[in-house]
Amino acid sequence: MAGGTMIGVTIPEIDESKCTACGDCVELCPASAVDLVNGKAAIVRPEDCDYCTDCEVFCSAGAISCPFDIILVKDRPAEQR
Amino acid sequence: MSSRLDFIRSLPYFAGLSDETAGRIEEQIRELSFAKGETLLLEGEPCRGLYVVKTGRVRIFKSSLEGREQVLLIAGPKSTFNDVPVFDGGPNPASGSALEPTTVYVIPREAMLSLVADCPAAMNIIRLFAARLRHLTMLVEDLSFRSVVSRLAKALLDLAVATESQAPVPRLTQDEMAAMIGTVRDVISRALKALEKEGAIKIEGRRILVVDPDKLRKMV
Repeated sequence: MAGGTMIGVTIPEIDESKCTACGDCVELCPASAVDLVNGKAAIVRPEDCDYCTDCEVFCSAGAISCPFDIILVKDRPAEQR
Repeated sequence: MSSRLDFIRSLPYFAGLSDETAGRIEEQIRELSFAKGETLLLEGEPCRGLYVVKTGRVRIFKSSLEGREQVLLIAGPKSTFNDVPVFDGGPNPASGSALEPTTVYVIPREAMLSLVADCPAAMNIIRLFAARLRHLTMLVEDLSFRSVVSRLAKALLDLAVATESQAPVPRLTQDEMAAMIGTVRDVISRALKALEKEGAIKIEGRRILVVDPDKLRKMV
């Protein structure tokens, strides 16, 4: 499984074993952050990925997933909410 | 043998009981009659016991604050209801009213528990099943009465874990959230945006931050 969090940048997770290299994610990523590398989808420009999760929606093979951590923030100042 | 004892012994709960045990249960039964439309029991009230319909029909239902109703069961002769609180010790999970002139037997909780008092393992299993059934009843209530935004707010409140906590932080895709609360991904996406617009949550990259739990609670 590729993807996750890279040096402060969050990117989708790609299960290469499921990727069929159809190219839909490459074509439809609004940030042009995805490309095919060695016949598999990869986030090649992680700094451009804004985790919109569109690639997860478009991937018909179910190879891309964009999980969210659900975190309770205690005592966050109102101006940061 | 009394007809009431025969009736009790014909119920699945009491099949195979010895004469002595069945007789002991029968002695503790209270027989109550209700007119059509009359309320037998109220959701949230303490459990009086297991109800068995002798004659008539009873409507078991959940109610919303707005007065909407979701019927869970129509109980006819020999049907039991209010089983869950008998075994998990909680309040009545639903209300019941008579659909027609109805007579019920009420078997006290203590009498029911006495049947498994000698087997702690059985009691543990039954209590666990009852708790699961109560959870499913609450799920029916959520699906029937709450909006998607409200259901999502409740799920996020239940799931959210503080970063300093030792518990693992739950990780869910939007499809998984949709499956949890009985909707589809597109609707979850809009609901998350609605919660963020209200200032209850903040979405930062792959993190959904519950920044104002009180606001979420007000939406539940």
